Amino acid sequence: MSELDRNKLQDPAYMAKRIADCEREIRKGIIGQEEIIRQVMLAMLTGGNVLLEGMPGLGKTRLVSTIAKVFDLSFKRIQFTPDLMPSDVTGTNIIVKNEQGSSFSFERGPIFANLILADEINRATPKTQSALLEAMQEHTVTVGNESHKLEEPFFVLATQNPIENEGTYPLPEAQLDRFMFKILVRFPSKEELKGIVTLTEGSGAVVIEKQMDGEGLLAVKELVNQIPIADAVMDYLLDIVMETHASNPLIREGASPRAAQALIRAARAKAFLEGRFNVSFQDVEEAAYPVLRHRILPSFDAISQSVSEDDIIRGILTAKKPKI
Amino acid sequence: MDQKEFTDMIRASRRKLNLAGFLKMLVFALSVGAGAGILLQALAFVMPLYYVNVYTGIALLLAVLTALVASLIRQNTMEDAALVMDSFGFQERIITAYEHLEDEGALPSLQRKDAMEQLKRHKDRIRISVWPNRKKTALLAALFTLMIGLALAPSRMKDWAGELHEIQQAAGEKEKEIAEVLEGLEKLAEQEELTPEQLAALQEMMESLQASMAEYGQVSSAEALQAAGEKLQFKYENMSSRMFDMAQSIGNGAAFSPMSAQSMQAMAERLQEMSGNPSTANSLASNQGQSGSGQNNQNGSGQNNQGGQNNGQSNQGDGQGNGQGDGQGNGQNGQGNAQDGQGSGENGQNGQGSGQDGQGDGQSGQGSGQNGQGDAESGRGTGSANISRDYVSIPNAIAENGNLTGNAGNHNDSEYFRDQNGLSWEGIHMSHEAVIGSYEQNAYEGIASGRYPSGMENVIKEYFSSFH
Repeated sequence: MSELDRNKLQDPAYMAKRIADCEREIRKGIIGQEEIIRQVMLAMLTGGNVLLEGMPGLGKTRLVSTIAKVFDLSFKRIQFTPDLMPSDVTGTNIIVKNEQGSSFSFERGPIFANLILADEINRATPKTQSALLEAMQEHTVTVGNESHKLEEPFFVLATQNPIENEGTYPLPEAQLDRFMFKILVRFPSKEELKGIVTLTEGSGAVVIEKQMDGEGLLAVKELVNQIPIADAVMDYLLDIVMETHASNPLIREGASPRAAQALIRAARAKAFLEGRFNVSFQDVEEAAYPVLRHRILPSFDAISQSVSEDDIIRGILTAKKPKI
Repeated sequence: MDQKEFTDMIRASRRKLNLAGFLKMLVFALSVGAGAGILLQALAFVMPLYYVNVYTGIALLLAVLTALVASLIRQNTMEDAALVMDSFGFQERIITAYEHLEDEGALPSLQRKDAMEQLKRHKDRIRISVWPNRKKTALLAALFTLMIGLALAPSRMKDWAGELHEIQQAAGEKEKEIAEVLEGLEKLAEQEELTPEQLAALQEMMESLQASMAEYGQVSSAEALQAAGEKLQFKYENMSSRMFDMAQSIGNGAAFSPMSAQSMQAMAERLQEMSGNPSTANSLASNQGQSGSGQNNQNGSGQNNQGGQNNGQSNQGDGQGNGQGDGQGNGQNGQGNAQDGQGSGENGQNGQGSGQDGQGDGQSGQGSGQNGQGDAESGRGTGSANISRDYVSIPNAIAENGNLTGNAGNHNDSEYFRDQNGLSWEGIHMSHEAVIGSYEQNAYEGIASGRYPSGMENVIKEYFSSFH
């Protein structure tokens, strides 16, 4: 591994190459799931939070820990349970006795890390879930009258189980909207499963090496924000978001303006990951699924007809495809 | 690749796109134009459309112009061209670079460089097709073939359209001629020396000519044109005769200026000359014998009138001479008599026809010049005309009985002939007023004798009073 050249943090070509190295390194530790890795990377490059939905044991935790290693980020895992309290997440003021007497001191919770894995987030009560809201949006934590800034970069990667709904608290729309992406983690193929088994159960452990650090990641985030977008592409992107609010019997509620922001950032990040410095229509289309699927509320008709959010998004993309 | 080269490539693509757009539009517009042309050509088979080929040409020309204007309005911009270029696998690099040409930021600069490099490396990928869709072009070719085939296919209606066009042209020329005469009459009517009677006569002439003008405007067959021509010639002769009379009376009157008499005389001569001109209708008439007969008779008649007006006393002699000569069926005599009247030998060419006419001429010659005009109304023939009449013709069967309310013979076809008023039944002529008067008298007698149901008397009275 070569050390990150601090003098080239503003060099887009160099940083793009380093990000490509990061992705390659992550793939060493995660078998299959290329699309998941790519989408998590997109969120990382834009500072977004990710909601991973999938069955247990699909490697979600391993993915997050691998990313933390590759990007050299501090990583904390919080297992959400119904009795988890907000202070268990954010931290609390405790009485500390010292030579001067007793005083309150803020004891940081597990949220004070660069990368948080909020495992089975829908098992915690809404009160505890909402403790994450401020952290996810403002990157600060307020305990009592005091706000504490979280260390940058800060990402929340939450997971939830789509099947086991008993005793869960579905995430409110406001909180869902804070997640830049909702990524569906599918079951691996037989080939992938074989690779996973070989990797984890074999004798030779794979060594994941650091390729980047927090500072480099923030620099990349700045670069990604500067990627130019053509008017036609921007129009297409906005048309997609607006179409979720058009009269559509399959949609009960459309995406928020935050969706348009997330879509722009994701499309830019995708272009950057591919070594391009412009956003294409295809970038927008590919980013649309993870950005919009948790922001569109399907109507009763859609649910009764088993039309998924992805089906609705596919229809919108087809309808709004630019005619050249 | 520098910036200029980059924009030049986009510009070249834009030109191609505009050309492709124009050709696409042209094919579409020409297809519509050809469709309209086919419709017009098909219509030409069922209705007379003399200018069908011109209309078809105009439709196609309009199609080309529409395509040109539409393609000018919908011209592609440089951005459109860049987007199209991007569709050849450049992933929106070119449009982004073009829109950020002036952006000096690090990433836009890098993006431009990347776009230009990609364009330079893969410019062969860009293949903008200029030619329109093959299927649409084939459809256009088929439409054109059909249209040309229809245009070249012969049909009776097309022939008829050509004939009708000539008829209408001839009618148009006549209308112009009448308009000129009307103008001359209006100038004459402006002279203050004219008496109210003369003014009324001029007014009557003008109204009569306006009626002829309207008649020409509605002409739709050679027969109608011929009938209108005959009627007009008759009117010219009549007017000429009356104008000569008026000129003479003006010339004799001390209160009139010589100029008035001269202009009146000139107009009379002009009218006479016009009445003597061979009618275009005659050349178009299918029944050459019929038209020839009528024309010669008219000419003969006009000459008699002329003679009558100019010579006063000698009118009788001319008339009688005509009557005798023609009554014998001698063409030579007819010619000689005509020369007596007019001093020109144009009209004795028809032997038999003139002979019949001669009888009438003899009678008229004894009367006045105007009667002489009526004498020219012979020449048997067949045909029909849908023209308003100045006179009512009474078939022989009724006229001979002398009872206008009687039945018309034994339902056999009555003989008819063509005269200056158009189609007439063989027999006597009565004025419209006389006919109405006769009917009215009979109706009132019927009311008095109680022949009609009670309550209908007022209806009958109102009907006849509406004619007054």
